[in-house]
Amino acid sequence: MNERHSIVEIWVYLSGSPLLALFITLAAYQLGLFLYQKSKQNALVNPVAIAVILVASFIQLIEMPYSTYFEGAQFIHFLLGSATVSLAIPIYRGLSSLHQRWGPLLISLMIGGLTSILSAVGIAKLFGADQTIIGALFPKSVTAPIAMGIAERIGVSPTLTAIFAVLTGILGAILAPSILNLLGMKNWWQRGFTIGIAAHGIGTSRAFSVNQEAGAYASLAMGLHGIIGAILIPILYHLMNR
Amino acid sequence: MVAGLVQILFFQGLGELMSKLLLPTLPGPVIGLVILLIWLIVRKEISPALLLVSNGFSQYFGLLFVPAATGVVLFLPQIKAHAWAIILALVGSVVLTIIASALALKLMTKEELMNSERLSNE
Repeated sequence: MNERHSIVEIWVYLSGSPLLALFITLAAYQLGLFLYQKSKQNALVNPVAIAVILVASFIQLIEMPYSTYFEGAQFIHFLLGSATVSLAIPIYRGLSSLHQRWGPLLISLMIGGLTSILSAVGIAKLFGADQTIIGALFPKSVTAPIAMGIAERIGVSPTLTAIFAVLTGILGAILAPSILNLLGMKNWWQRGFTIGIAAHGIGTSRAFSVNQEAGAYASLAMGLHGIIGAILIPILYHLMNR
Repeated sequence: MVAGLVQILFFQGLGELMSKLLLPTLPGPVIGLVILLIWLIVRKEISPALLLVSNGFSQYFGLLFVPAATGVVLFLPQIKAHAWAIILALVGSVVLTIIASALALKLMTKEELMNSERLSNE
């Protein structure tokens, strides 16, 4: 057996086992995290976006079908459900800082959530996007792991939903501080809660890095938005797509 | 770490079971989240093992989306064809969402502040 032959054999073995998919996923994310920290945590240098671009380019380069990649990477994907369950802990911690603000918080959450869906769907329809894209915009306003669960239930693409949710988080984290300044919102808890509604996970981690109270309210908003969204978004979707 | 993971998987399994049997429109993990939240509220404390797992997950949450989001390779033609609609929908929606929820919150807590002032004056 010549050397070249054995390299091909190793390659065939590697691309058939979960090892390669797991390795490129973790390595790409690690690189993304490294760049994010190097950029002093600039929201534009998002580790998820970097990892997705790297992995997608790599599997296209080696002509690995997405289904083969996913077969290996599904071990990481599986943990998404467990991570969703673990969101109960930050929500529980946020609850203790609620005091008596239940009413206003829930109402603004509903208004924000509804605005997010209707505006995204409306604009996409106006500019002639097709049904696959419009459908995936329905759950994008909640945190990505819950959004993907909702997408599966209402029969739209979880992949597109995940991408839209991550992009929403990046955009929200970038735009929220200046919009809130323009609106003259100075209270940390109000700023945090608004960012949690509009920019879920990515916004929440930004909020934590600025102020603890803002972070607690942001994770509370993100969690409540996820729970309420999981209940109401399928209903809204079926109402609008009868 | 393992003890916390066992608890999380237990609640996740409970959620999946309820989703299959009772509430098919709700994703199992979301039901698991709600049951765990109720459990925490009843017990009034978070066990250290659970806290450890939750911190681990929240640190690397983003990593868990990567496999699914990489499926973008299957949608590239569609995304290219509708790129402007997608960009405008996402940006417009984020801006409007922030404005709407911020104004709603401001308006209502202003009322809350005024109410509490009135109460203290009476």
